[in-house]
Amino acid sequence: MKLFEYQAKEQFQKAGIPVPRAQLASSVGEAREGAERIGYPVVVKAQVLAGGRGKAGLVRKAHNAEEVERVAEEIFQAGKGVRKVLVEEAVPFQRELYLSITLEPRDAKALLIASSEGGVEIEEVAKKRPEKVLQYPLDLNTGLLPFHSRSLAYDLGIEGEGAKRFARVIEGLWKVFRTCEAELAEINPLFLTEGHDLVAGDGKLSIDDNSLFRHPEFEPGPDYFDSPIAYEAYKEGIPYLQFEGDISLMCAGAGLTTTVYDLIHYEGGTVANYLEFGGPNYRKGLRAMELCLANRPKVVLIVSFGTIARADVMAQGIVEAVEKLKPSCPIVACIRGTGEEEAQRILKEGGIEPLFDTEEAVRIAVRHSKGATP
Amino acid sequence: MSIFIDRSVRVLVQGITGSEGSFWTKHMIGIGTQVVAGVTPGKENQQVEGVPVYHTVRRALREHPADAAMLFVPPKFTLDAVFEALDAGVRKIVTIADGIPLQEAIQIRRAALSCGARVIGGNTSGVITPGAAMMGMFPYWIERVYKPGTIGVMTRSGSLTNEITAMIVRGGFGVSTLVGVGGDAVPGTRFAELLPDFQADPSTEAVVIIGELGGTMEEEVAEALETKVFTKPVVAFLAGRTAPEGKRMGHAGAIVTAGKGTVKGKIEALERAGAYVADRPSRIGELLRLALNKR
Repeated sequence: MKLFEYQAKEQFQKAGIPVPRAQLASSVGEAREGAERIGYPVVVKAQVLAGGRGKAGLVRKAHNAEEVERVAEEIFQAGKGVRKVLVEEAVPFQRELYLSITLEPRDAKALLIASSEGGVEIEEVAKKRPEKVLQYPLDLNTGLLPFHSRSLAYDLGIEGEGAKRFARVIEGLWKVFRTCEAELAEINPLFLTEGHDLVAGDGKLSIDDNSLFRHPEFEPGPDYFDSPIAYEAYKEGIPYLQFEGDISLMCAGAGLTTTVYDLIHYEGGTVANYLEFGGPNYRKGLRAMELCLANRPKVVLIVSFGTIARADVMAQGIVEAVEKLKPSCPIVACIRGTGEEEAQRILKEGGIEPLFDTEEAVRIAVRHSKGATP
Repeated sequence: MSIFIDRSVRVLVQGITGSEGSFWTKHMIGIGTQVVAGVTPGKENQQVEGVPVYHTVRRALREHPADAAMLFVPPKFTLDAVFEALDAGVRKIVTIADGIPLQEAIQIRRAALSCGARVIGGNTSGVITPGAAMMGMFPYWIERVYKPGTIGVMTRSGSLTNEITAMIVRGGFGVSTLVGVGGDAVPGTRFAELLPDFQADPSTEAVVIIGELGGTMEEEVAEALETKVFTKPVVAFLAGRTAPEGKRMGHAGAIVTAGKGTVKGKIEALERAGAYVADRPSRIGELLRLALNKR
């Protein structure tokens, strides 16, 4: 789960990484107050989870109170669901570095990545001049060692007091990476000032979803999701993605649901939402269908081929959901796997034609979504 | 013949007294697996399906030598359970746990690599040699999915595996061994690491891989084909051809980042290396026939 920049910087600060003086603001007034306290110039930054904020005009510099109000107003109204902005002192820097720690699944290690050419074009640098991006594998058991920081400082051309401060930043980032159980901890840019200070200009911290049970402080609120329905699904433990199309997917298993998503596009259809009610969720048919119908889809397509997710239990859940919710759109069901004979019987009795072939089910759903009678 | 699991492999079940553990132990025995002992701390002297239960892995192995450990243990205890099995000398481990913390999955894989052990999973149904034995959760009695044959299968998915395997059977083939490496970002064993075993297995004539967007495991299979580590035919099906970039499609491993791990890139790499890639499940059978006839 990705955290907002201000949350990442809270963690950085706790770990001893210098961050700019800042104020989190939920309104234009608060942004102005923050700026007055910090002193000009300031940078006003939208707190959104998507990348590419700078290029989207969601990070803006301001030199006085009127300017802060104007850019804050524009950022809040950018229509991208900006609920908060971070007002920060504009740090005068000499160089922009890049620093991150992530996981490397193949070698089963962490990976420390650094570059002397940080900033918004870091991906281009990595592509065109890979020698400018330094990588050190870190064993999770021995962790970060002094030579890692030393080597990076020399190679990036940071000397004297700067090298010592750089080592402390790397140690801090490693501490954040381990204690927050992150998938990614990234500082880009990491400002190097004329006085050899290092300051985290931006912060990206992505917490491993599988570790969230140990970090209740990061429990996401509605701001983290594409839609209110997506947030409802999250609270229910149901994997869900919001789209804008016609066909609501109520499937089982990530791989099969993704395949059905592909097949719909091959047939010229569009997807309203991706929802998985397999695995531990296979008894939640009613709740899953409620979430799907909240999108007002033209058709609900149910495809499963479960092992633990028993077909008969899923079929029963669907028939009960249809009786209770009385959907106005057609329901197309192709439920197979453990208990499939019983599932077919249950569907038939519930007035739903049981299908047995995924690709046929997709074709029928797409035809329904286009208003045709299949 | 097969890889990883057959009737000669003596299996220890950790977490045997839980509801999943006891249910699937019954079915592992049902298909023909040798389940020699079980482990649940605090439950020694009990029996599950006639299998004796011990407090610890070491205590179980003193009475019943075993070749492999099957873990029905929740994700937050999986690191502990895997290391307990490794400590006791077990070098073949399958874990079904869905939701192992990623940094712990890294530690598990690192430990396995260091001592030459093979850990399969998590977030998988396990490994099955149809008609012989299994470690994991498979409804092996559904004949149109789990038919013995000559096609090795490697997969990152669950339900999709049933879909694809049903197409292998519909195409007139069956399965030698199916290995679910799991849907996590850090699987204990990667696709390419299983290829030498399938290469050496005389009963496997071709391999089907079931992949998806994210990660680099499919690209590693392409490398193994190009360097002739694996010379039997490969047919692949990849989910997520039309998935929007950057959207997380359920599995932690299914994240598209920085142009790597796209389905398009995987398909190009595999086809360049001589593999056949099916654009829909129903084409698996014909591509297998094509690949095997050409050989």
